[in-house]
Amino acid sequence: MKRAGIGLVIVVASIALFAPYLAPNSPDRRFPNLLYAPPTRVYVRQGGFRAPFIYQWRIVSRLERSFRESRVRAVPLRWFADRRLVTADPDNNAPLLLLGADAYGRDVFSRLIYGSRVSLALAAVAAVVAVIVGGVIGAVAGYAGGRLDDLLSRVSELVLVLPAMYVALALRAVMPLVLPASSVFILLTMIFALFGWPIVARGVRATIASERQREYALAARAAGAGPVRVLRHLLPAARGFLTVQGSLLIPAFILAEATMSYVGLGFPDTTPTWGTMLQDAANVTLIVEAPWMLAPAAAIFSVVLAVNLIVQGTGRPPVQLGK
Amino acid sequence: MTAFLIRRLLFAIVLVVFAASAALLLTRLAPGDVTSQLGPGATRAEIAATRARFALDRGLVAQWTEWAGRAVRFDLGESFLYNRPVAPLVRAAAVNTAALAVVALVTATLLGLALGVVTGSRHDAVAAIVRVLSLVSISIPPLLASLLLAFIAARTGWLPVGGMSSVNASDMSWPAWLSDLAWHLPLPVLALALPLAATFERLQSQSLAEALHQPFVRAALARGVAPSGLILRHAWRVSLRAICGVYGVAIGALLSGSFVVEYVTAWPGLGRLMYEALRARDIYLVAGCAAMGSFFLAIGTLAGDLLLAAADPRVREAEPA
Amino acid sequence: MTVTRSRYLGVLVTAALLVAGFLWWRAATPENGLRSRAGTVPRRGGQLVASLRTDPRSFNRYVARDFTTEALTTLTHDRLVRINRATFALEPRLAERWESSEDGRTHTVHLRHGLSWSDGTPFTSADVVFSFEAVFDRRTESLLASSLIVAAQPMRATAPDADTVVISFAGPSGPGVRLLDNLPILPRHKLQAALAGGTFAEAWDTRTPPGDLAGMGPFVLREYQPGQRLVLDRNPHYWRHAEDGTALPYLDRVVLEIVPDQNAELLRLQARAIDTTQDALRPEDFVTARRSEQQGVLKMVELGVALDADAFWFCLKPEAKKKDPRFAFVQKPQFRQAISHAVDREEFAQTVYLSEAVPVWGPITSGNRQWFDPNVPRYPPDLDKARALLKGLGLEDRDGNGVVEDAAGTEARFAVITQRGVTSYERGTTVLRDRAAKIGIALDIVPLEFGAMIQKMLASDYDAIYMKPIMTDLDPAASMDLWLSSGSGHFWNLEQTTPATEWEKRIDTLMLEQAAATDDRRRHELFNDVQRVLAENLPVLYFAAPRMYAAHSTRVINVMPSVLRPPILWNADLLAVNGPGADSSSASAEATADAPSSH
Repeated sequence: MKRAGIGLVIVVASIALFAPYLAPNSPDRRFPNLLYAPPTRVYVRQGGFRAPFIYQWRIVSRLERSFRESRVRAVPLRWFADRRLVTADPDNNAPLLLLGADAYGRDVFSRLIYGSRVSLALAAVAAVVAVIVGGVIGAVAGYAGGRLDDLLSRVSELVLVLPAMYVALALRAVMPLVLPASSVFILLTMIFALFGWPIVARGVRATIASERQREYALAARAAGAGPVRVLRHLLPAARGFLTVQGSLLIPAFILAEATMSYVGLGFPDTTPTWGTMLQDAANVTLIVEAPWMLAPAAAIFSVVLAVNLIVQGTGRPPVQLGK
Repeated sequence: MTAFLIRRLLFAIVLVVFAASAALLLTRLAPGDVTSQLGPGATRAEIAATRARFALDRGLVAQWTEWAGRAVRFDLGESFLYNRPVAPLVRAAAVNTAALAVVALVTATLLGLALGVVTGSRHDAVAAIVRVLSLVSISIPPLLASLLLAFIAARTGWLPVGGMSSVNASDMSWPAWLSDLAWHLPLPVLALALPLAATFERLQSQSLAEALHQPFVRAALARGVAPSGLILRHAWRVSLRAICGVYGVAIGALLSGSFVVEYVTAWPGLGRLMYEALRARDIYLVAGCAAMGSFFLAIGTLAGDLLLAAADPRVREAEPA
Repeated sequence: MTVTRSRYLGVLVTAALLVAGFLWWRAATPENGLRSRAGTVPRRGGQLVASLRTDPRSFNRYVARDFTTEALTTLTHDRLVRINRATFALEPRLAERWESSEDGRTHTVHLRHGLSWSDGTPFTSADVVFSFEAVFDRRTESLLASSLIVAAQPMRATAPDADTVVISFAGPSGPGVRLLDNLPILPRHKLQAALAGGTFAEAWDTRTPPGDLAGMGPFVLREYQPGQRLVLDRNPHYWRHAEDGTALPYLDRVVLEIVPDQNAELLRLQARAIDTTQDALRPEDFVTARRSEQQGVLKMVELGVALDADAFWFCLKPEAKKKDPRFAFVQKPQFRQAISHAVDREEFAQTVYLSEAVPVWGPITSGNRQWFDPNVPRYPPDLDKARALLKGLGLEDRDGNGVVEDAAGTEARFAVITQRGVTSYERGTTVLRDRAAKIGIALDIVPLEFGAMIQKMLASDYDAIYMKPIMTDLDPAASMDLWLSSGSGHFWNLEQTTPATEWEKRIDTLMLEQAAATDDRRRHELFNDVQRVLAENLPVLYFAAPRMYAAHSTRVINVMPSVLRPPILWNADLLAVNGPGADSSSASAEATADAPSSH
């Protein structure tokens, strides 16, 4: 199963990397007459078989968001045109909308794959940093015990108790008004790592504290091994927790980016992200009428599934307890 | 043991003071203040009067000292949004959230741990389905999940669409009121418990699978001892340690209230109160909510540590390295 | 391998379950609601459930202006006169009739005879005089005081006898008696002690037991469950009767549920858990509401065009901007006119409000039927004209980067602050940015959190802002803070002592005259001039005002929708429900128990 997971991750990463080529349209291009348009259907039959084509959506009622296909003209899909893998005819208001359009008439599919770059990069980097920082602190606390353990555990609680929203607001206030995307990225990574490490540390601490009482660890200490050496042998016990918790942090950070953008600490709206796309779709009417806007949730799920398959497919033959 | 408890309780006090003070400080630092809530038509006099009322025209240290002096007597100041003293407001909201949190915690623990044991010890279709459902639950943002649940409740009519009590609750007798509350609980409880259960399930699954690789289990199986509840129970106790580590944080987070769930399901709890206070920069209310939340977190981590010690006696016996 | 196959199977089965679930819920439709019966004759009895967003900040309207307190006051208190929210006509309420002197400065108001407060105490002119005292009391610093000031002096009220009040203004007033709609009358016997003791501002806070409250309105507060709801029962001593003699209000009980989330509100409306909301529907929800209407669950009503439109303005405070090289061209009206020409208001209405909006060019929209001037100069979309205007100011794209700059090389690039999370702002700024880019003006949209935005606005520390500063009053003379250059609501240039430009001075003169003129036609002439000056100089740009709709359950009859909030509850005494309400059995049992004594 691990290989399936790795394969999925590679697919997702390639999509993110090659987004400008794979997206049929530019992610911030608005089609004013196609607000909330449903996905364009791709046909291959007209009489006999022919190259794939679509029909243009014509608006019937803007308020009711109803469209009908304009059968006047069959718009063929163009391959390898405009430096894109496939596209239809966006300049004549007949774009290829594989996942429909959002509230501004922007192609959801293109925004989804462009958004993967920011969301995944941010979540992955922040998760790695949180895991490393939390892992180190937790391991030290768990191994040392006593005063140091107390101190570090209490520090982790002090961090957990801070109102994240205000920290973000205060940070935003000292930043210049117009923030480039790179600054936002660094800031968000720092904030997520800051609020993410305590939970990692607590789990690691509990694991290491228990593990260091195991016979092999006691023996190693009795034989005079230094703390770093013993710790190195204890850490694999926490590896399982670290990987699972890290994999749980990824969707949490993807979604937390939307919350942060709520207090102004987000990417400029020309940069799509999965978190904000989902937040915009969180509307009772849209869920029923335009369910394609929930595509980012499916995307997050596939990423989470991929990571989980890797993480939990440790390669060792599983111990089968059931009959 | 008593020394340990006393130390932790003392720290709980430190944590509460720290949280409330940090909230005060950060509220002052955040741009804008409570006078933004007066609306664009407010006069200079009104703005100045409101600032004076919340000591915003004085220095930070002066304000903190004044607040601390009153807080010792449990007088946490007044709220701008509600025009009432903070302490009873926070207390009432905390009770509401606690009712929700306890039920959600029990649900999530039972569901998550049980399912985690299933997926950790078996590798068949059932385990795969459960795992996929878990991952789905983790991928959905809480806002969307709450909305979906509310939507299902509205369409099917099985549950009320939010709220803590029915419209004519005050006319009900005690037993009727309790069952009314029970009828209103499932929606927010599910919204809170499902993602948490999924987290527990993932953690439990991983650590049980690892624990089953321990020498005594492999040895017993190799000797031909039939896999039995005894082995499972022992392995399970070992697998609990990481979960106990994060359990305390989960308790604290649940008791502090989830803003999103309480907002969508109209549950008058601490999460919603704190968020509204944060948005309005209602300084004393923010401090009060932060104090309450940190108190719960301290209790939660203490409970988590006690559970850890109960589950894994080796932790208790440890001396400092 | 068994493991892999079972995993794939697991994924497939789960996917199948999810798809099945999705199909099921799409197919699930709410039960067909009861078609409203043919009879729409209002009858006494029944309960109405309305939703609100927040808890009330106080039960005392004199010191709190949040919407919930306002709604509560509408239900539990009454005024001397009322401006009908649907027809905008002046109606007598506690006052039966009145006479005004020749110079418009003295008004003799005759109260209805024999009225009582909700606790039975007789209502007299002493209560009216008391209310005036309380609102102008120095220690109270009531928010309502500024709306009752004429010619910079508070109104004075005296009571020659128990049924008459004489109100004197310090000068002539355009709105005149209409200003009395701003003052709910409070009971002297309940609050006199607090006023005398200087604690009136703290009186009637939300901890007050409902038994201590009394009002002249159709309902009485029976219970407040913090965070959840307010329950109001019929006021047995309410003064008003329907045309056929039935004692009003028709409803036995009104429940105000506190529902913070608009999505949950809509769901409850569809599930018939609530009967009406306090807010207009969002444009994206129209189609859902319409569908529910077709199924007989709801009824949609058109409220009219909104009175306020979203505004876009640059900071025009010379003291704050004098070192800013861009201010040289920003302060010229031609710059703002160019932007107004660049925006296609039809496209704007389509994108931002899904076509349910009308273009506007000034602060008064067609929703304000009495004061709207359709002859206000307009700016049809014309990119060439816009570019020509900019060129006339010396702004051209000299370096070919798509952004115009002046001769010294200062680019026309601005940071536009707006509030995060408001759909119409987010959409509006997107459209604005795209259109401004076409004429070479670069706008960077910066969504900020509400408090952060207000702070920048009050400190005049911004380039431009896009939001809706609310103008609450229909009559322009009641919003002098906005029009006068010295006013606290003069948002593009706050804290001015003297007018910064010629046209601001002209508006000051016109508005002061308008507020004091008593001839209606003259007032309209003056105000049309004001609108024209504003449209020519464009300190603020407006684009489109939404058409508002509200929805209520089919049970509710006798609804008179209003574009002012609360859209449906404002005439709660005339609302009635058709068919059994939730638990109406207990409510109507109480109603027969305390049948009103005949008046």
